[in-house]
Amino acid sequence: MIYVSDSPGKMSTQKKRAFQIEAFKHRVVVDPKYAEKTWKVLEHAIHEIYNHNASGLSFEELYRNAYNMVLHKFGEKLYTGLVTTMTAHLKEISQSIESAQGEIFLDELNRKWVDHNKALQMIRDILMYMDRTFIPSNHKTPVHELGLNLWRDVVIHSSKTQARLLDTLLELVLRERNGEVINRGLMRNIIKMLMDLGLPVYQHDFEKHFLDVSANFYCCESQKFIETCDCGDYLKKAERRLNEELERVSHYLDPRSESKITNVVEKEMIESHMHTLVHMENSGLVSMLVDDKYEDLQRMYNLFRRVPAGLTIVKEVMTSFIRDTGKQLIMDPERLRDPVDFVQRLLDLKDKYDKVITMSFNNDKTFQNALNSSFEYFINLNARSPEFISLFVDDKLRRGLKGVGEEDVEIVLDKVMMLFRYLQEKDVFEKYYKQHLAKRLLSGKTISDDAERSLIVKLKTECGYQFTSKLEGMFTDMKTSHDTMQGFYAGQGTELGDGPTLSVQVLTTGSWPTQPSPPCNLPQEILGVCDKFRTYYLGTHNGRRLSWQTNMGTADLKATFGKGQKHELNVSTYQMCVLMLFNNVEQLTCKEIEQATAIPMSDLRRCLQSLACVKGKNVLRKEPMSKDIAEDDAFFFNDKFTSKFFKVKIGTVVAQRESEPENLETRQRVEEDRKPQIEAAIVRIMKSRRTLDHNNIVAEVTKQLQSRFLPNPVVIKKRIESLIEREFLERDKVDRKLYRYLA
Amino acid sequence: MKKEDTVKLISAEGFEFVVDKEAAMVSQTIHNMLTSPGSFSERQHGEVTFPEISTTILEKICQYFYWHLQFARLYWEQPITLTCNSDVIEFPPTTEWVMGLP
Repeated sequence: MIYVSDSPGKMSTQKKRAFQIEAFKHRVVVDPKYAEKTWKVLEHAIHEIYNHNASGLSFEELYRNAYNMVLHKFGEKLYTGLVTTMTAHLKEISQSIESAQGEIFLDELNRKWVDHNKALQMIRDILMYMDRTFIPSNHKTPVHELGLNLWRDVVIHSSKTQARLLDTLLELVLRERNGEVINRGLMRNIIKMLMDLGLPVYQHDFEKHFLDVSANFYCCESQKFIETCDCGDYLKKAERRLNEELERVSHYLDPRSESKITNVVEKEMIESHMHTLVHMENSGLVSMLVDDKYEDLQRMYNLFRRVPAGLTIVKEVMTSFIRDTGKQLIMDPERLRDPVDFVQRLLDLKDKYDKVITMSFNNDKTFQNALNSSFEYFINLNARSPEFISLFVDDKLRRGLKGVGEEDVEIVLDKVMMLFRYLQEKDVFEKYYKQHLAKRLLSGKTISDDAERSLIVKLKTECGYQFTSKLEGMFTDMKTSHDTMQGFYAGQGTELGDGPTLSVQVLTTGSWPTQPSPPCNLPQEILGVCDKFRTYYLGTHNGRRLSWQTNMGTADLKATFGKGQKHELNVSTYQMCVLMLFNNVEQLTCKEIEQATAIPMSDLRRCLQSLACVKGKNVLRKEPMSKDIAEDDAFFFNDKFTSKFFKVKIGTVVAQRESEPENLETRQRVEEDRKPQIEAAIVRIMKSRRTLDHNNIVAEVTKQLQSRFLPNPVVIKKRIESLIEREFLERDKVDRKLYRYLA
Repeated sequence: MKKEDTVKLISAEGFEFVVDKEAAMVSQTIHNMLTSPGSFSERQHGEVTFPEISTTILEKICQYFYWHLQFARLYWEQPITLTCNSDVIEFPPTTEWVMGLP
């Protein structure tokens, strides 16, 4: 070991000598054959290197020789000598490769390439000095690159090898595509060689042809598949091919080829056939949707996503199919008979496609939008959709979601809200919902206050405070009435004795969908307690007016029949009035009942029908025994009435789908209600804009009101005319299409 | 020290310097000699003869190898002085030493 021991500091203490700086002595080359001799040594060494015989060579000597040659200005000779010698060797190599027969061709090429690389490395090392100094200053190609270029020109681009190499490679790829196992390692080495020779070599000598041949191959194959396979199978095959190509790239091709070859497969196997595939009979997209083939659908999505406009086709076909299905469902007169079933089917349809989109279409937003717009399209095709949706809610909240937990109730309500969102005529829904809610609240049939309130909250978030304020008012009324009744009984309980128990619900006018109807004549027993309540209520609340809505109430009656059997009858207020008459008389005609109770004839008919004509609930007996009620029909108390239940419910007021005339009436009411809303919107808009032309007003009004309903332009026009008449607006004197706001 | 971890450097006059391979390979040329594929004789025998380098120079070269291994990195970071065993050590040979060469 040698250690640095003497510090240079000591040197300076030594006696100083006078230095004389001499010019650098160039060794003069005396021997005129110096260059030739030195090159011979190096040339010999290169031969030895190519012959795997380098162990006898001294690196130092070779390096020194090359160094000296460059130093003594023989760089050019060294360089050209190198080019010549290497070219000669490569020609030899090329011949030996060309003569390789059949299978071993690639092996030979690969082995020689490895050898050449090794030799090149050694040559570069001994000629390092030339590589560093002579080559850059003379703008020559560096040794390593030179070696690669020569290999490319002499070996790869030799007339015999070039085509043969390409054919061999493509043949191997084809064999692999046909299911044979090939030597991927060798393949990788050869491709790697092409890439080492530079990207252009790889691209021109291999990639371009590879892509052409692949396109051809997949064009033929896809044609064959499309004729023999169904859509699902075809897609499976296409997917497998695509994965094979990806695997091929990862195993032995340049990663940059990946997008190119996948493009080829996508174009040939998917893009060229996508219409055929989607519309394929009995197995195309529609069949997959019908049969819930989530895997196939997912495959289709993933493959079609790869090609331009692929998903658009899938989406369009899906949309039109959903629209058709929905249209059929919504227009089917069979379905319209049972609103609950109708809505349930809509929900099932939505669930089905939601599931398809989640499971197969990657939750794609554009597909969700397509689904939504389809639903919006067909739900609004049927003007009764709002009514039916409300009936569905009514059914769920009335009969209960049997055996389901609170969370499930929420889920059902959320789904209903989703359908609600699709509705254009939200005000119609509100109208029906109000009616149904009123019936539920008044008959005490609602199963869960929480569920009711939760739905109101949802409606509120969806449509704002205005939409639900009246609905909430109904709840408040129910609560207040409850408190009032408690107060009433706490204060007067003792005075009332054991007369009938009265339960009054005080409804705020305006919040409830009440129709004015003259009160009927209540039985004496009830009248007394009613008057007491009236006194109590008006005594605690100043300036209010109470009027009885006898058409909306219910009553529980205890009745004793012929053989002493006791039943509790659950009836409407009207029916109660009728039944109470029979406490004193045996027989009454319809006309007499009408006179005694003052119940409107149409209501009376209905109530008598449910009392006398329903089997198992016929507490009255009618003569003659027929379904229809005539004014002269006689009614008797049915002593022989029996029922296995103690409690007998008679003629419950279940909300049912409206009959045609009722529906028309509701429509008219809705139209009436819309008028002030449209007018208000027009005035709001004109107030801020001052002047506006007709089309813009219509557009703005539609925009403002679309959260509630879609106003009809004709109606808007009529409202504008009405506002002009009432001098809110005027037409511009010059431009008749322009309106002005009159403050 | 294992034989394969060292290399013998022989001067023009035949002096043999046995140094760590790691140190010798500070020189890129020697590095190439000892690592080039296909094994030149230097790599096989673990010795390099320099018929054109005198003993004095080769000794200094070897000193430089070790200095470089130990200090070069620091030297380039702090070119002024280096402290090692309380001696100030700089490598680049003094002018005097250079001028003393034949």
